[in-house]
Amino acid sequence: MKKFILKIGLYFICIFIGLELLVRVFHLHKDRPVRYLDEYNVEKWIPNQTGIWVTGNRRQNVGEYKINNFGYNSVYDEFQPKKNKKEIALVGDSFIQGFHQNYQNSIGQKLETKLNKNYKVLEFGYAGWDLADQLHMIKAYEHLFDDIEHVVIYMQYTTDLKRDTYTISDRFSLDTPLNRFLKEIKTVVYLRDLGLMDPITKSIEKIKTVINGDRSVKEVENVNQEKEDRLKLENFKQLVKQYGYDKHKNVLLLDYSLCSTQFLDYLEQNQFKTINFNKSFEVSKTPPTLIYDQHWNNHGRNLITNLLEEYIQNH
Amino acid sequence: MLFNSIDFFIFLPIVYILFWLFGKDKPKTQNIILLLASYVFYGWWDYRFLSLIIFSTFVDYFVGKAIYKSSDKKVKKGWLWVSIIFNLGLLGFFKYYDFFVDSFVDAFLIAGFQIESIWTLNIILPVGISFYTFQTLSYSLDIYKEDLKPTNDLISFGTYVSFFPQLVAGPIERASHLLPQITKVKHFNYKQSVEGLKLMLWGLFKKVAIADSLALIVDDIFANHSTYPSTTLLMGAIFFGFQIYCDFSGYSDIAIGTSKLFGVELMSNFKFPYLSRSIAEFWRRWHISLSTWFRDYLYIPLGGSRGTRSKAIRNVFIIFLVSGLWHGANWTFVVWGLFHALLFLPSFYFNTNRKHLDNVNLFSSVKTFFIDGGQILIMFILVMLGWVFFRSETLADSFSYLQSMLFDFTHWNYIHPRGYRMWDYYVLIIGFIIFEYIIRKDERNPLNFNNRFVRLACYLLLIFLIFMFYDDAMDRSFIYFQF
Repeated sequence: MKKFILKIGLYFICIFIGLELLVRVFHLHKDRPVRYLDEYNVEKWIPNQTGIWVTGNRRQNVGEYKINNFGYNSVYDEFQPKKNKKEIALVGDSFIQGFHQNYQNSIGQKLETKLNKNYKVLEFGYAGWDLADQLHMIKAYEHLFDDIEHVVIYMQYTTDLKRDTYTISDRFSLDTPLNRFLKEIKTVVYLRDLGLMDPITKSIEKIKTVINGDRSVKEVENVNQEKEDRLKLENFKQLVKQYGYDKHKNVLLLDYSLCSTQFLDYLEQNQFKTINFNKSFEVSKTPPTLIYDQHWNNHGRNLITNLLEEYIQNH
Repeated sequence: MLFNSIDFFIFLPIVYILFWLFGKDKPKTQNIILLLASYVFYGWWDYRFLSLIIFSTFVDYFVGKAIYKSSDKKVKKGWLWVSIIFNLGLLGFFKYYDFFVDSFVDAFLIAGFQIESIWTLNIILPVGISFYTFQTLSYSLDIYKEDLKPTNDLISFGTYVSFFPQLVAGPIERASHLLPQITKVKHFNYKQSVEGLKLMLWGLFKKVAIADSLALIVDDIFANHSTYPSTTLLMGAIFFGFQIYCDFSGYSDIAIGTSKLFGVELMSNFKFPYLSRSIAEFWRRWHISLSTWFRDYLYIPLGGSRGTRSKAIRNVFIIFLVSGLWHGANWTFVVWGLFHALLFLPSFYFNTNRKHLDNVNLFSSVKTFFIDGGQILIMFILVMLGWVFFRSETLADSFSYLQSMLFDFTHWNYIHPRGYRMWDYYVLIIGFIIFEYIIRKDERNPLNFNNRFVRLACYLLLIFLIFMFYDDAMDRSFIYFQF
């Protein structure tokens, strides 16, 4: 029996090492960059990190990223506006961050190619950002944004208006020594991304809850749609008021089909500039998103680029 | 509890440690641990249905004793009927009641009478009921035939009925094979345990990497078959053939492997059925525990191949139809059974059904390669046509599927519902067929390589492929749970 258990242990170690080698050789895992908070409490990636972002099992989609000195994924090392060029800023969450594509093939790069050489597109994308994060960053770097001609803010109505003020996110709580260590074991990263670790983490959480005696069942917040839409509109008004919003320079990139009529009416009545990408996506015969992921695929990014180009040319 | 769930991976080591720690050389303690573990295993799905197993255990335990004690043949027979009516009654009520009511209503409708189906009860089918009722029934039948003496140990009998590795999807064990192993003390055996773990790994690979990953494609094709070209439908049928084989044989391998860890040997359930050269050989290799059950307890008592030719043919039809119906309360299964009966009939009629008792060896000569290879291919195509009936929701669906697949030739590339590369699956299946051919001589020792580095590489490759083809969107339950 002892021999049996010892051999299981030995084989387990050998197989684990073998798996780690295979995962690294075939690069099946995501390289997760490390985040930090700058002097303005703006969330960024630590500069000069490069890596590969793998989506879908068996490397179905692979994107290369390069974090610049400013802390975002971009081909440009610096975000310094130049006088002989007109600048466009793209601000948003993971869709603008663009880890799902090679950084040389981002929406910003596509847009630059489409526009004439006088334009430079700077991308300020960070996964998980909402409107509060975005407006806070724009305000913090007011001196930089003052020199930028157009600022496109990508906003997802359903998720990005849940708060009315910026606070430091709890994403940093994930950056524990244990998590940092686990991040170095690529097999764990890979299995976690596959969702294979979910049952384990859920079971641990369940056990913790039982041990802590917290058996209360959290009631699902039953907020009705109308109330939620009202709240989102209030949050939007408050954010705009608190951080300032340049209606002349800024434009919201939106999927109208997700927005409430109340919200869209408000934007129109108050002369907020918007770009609706829903129509282009709807009429497209080719799917605009990755199938195993909600993010835009190359075709989706082309459609967005066309809309942005049209907007820039007309303004 | 599913074999491919994290719950089972926590449950099994706990039971294993308790079993060998407290049960060493103590058969009673071993059986108490196994019995409790089996009830936990089953109750994990729905504890209310445990009462059915416990009730069934008591009934057959006492009926078995009554059959044995009685010296009067009529009384013996009477007690046997109690067991038959009870077990088939349970099965009939939970599995077939709604089906027969609906079929009755439909029959009236065809005759022009519309009657409202007020008797349908929407009964939940208890997991594994088709398996454990057949197992308990075999106990009473064996005692009646005087092939077995009843046990006086209720705990052992309870363990036999509910032994968790094979409780919900077989193999359907005979009391004469399993009960003596359960009654006696079980000793730890290193070789047996290692073989058990290897079988579990092989079964898990078949289930997760092949069956589950193909399930996404098969479900999509069968659900939307009217929108797909014939080449895609053909692929759907082939993939289902591999899905169901890997799902069920994967379960059986894990069950046999788990039992080995507790010193118990279960019977083999699959012996590389897709390497069969005739339908008779296929049925000697597919779901062996069920086909031999029907042979011993239905076909032979009906007279088997003895008697007149027409009677023998009738018997063949009966076992295939009953076998089809056993799989589920749907006419699609009945037609599937009928289809196999028709395939079997020529070899039965010309007495060629006992051919091909050995393992295929394609490379023994060029002639064998072409003849045996051709026969295997034809067999596979025929079996695959049968799977269309088995997998379809209704008979109309299966006929429309077959019609589009066979007679409306069209082609365009299939796109995986989750966007995955299709080539990965083709390579996986071809690799699997080649590996099955290599290991075809011993289904109980799939990873039996002499060189330890080759063995280690095999384990690593299988685990790697399990991860590579894992998808959190897939339905992870076993197909045969519903039967």
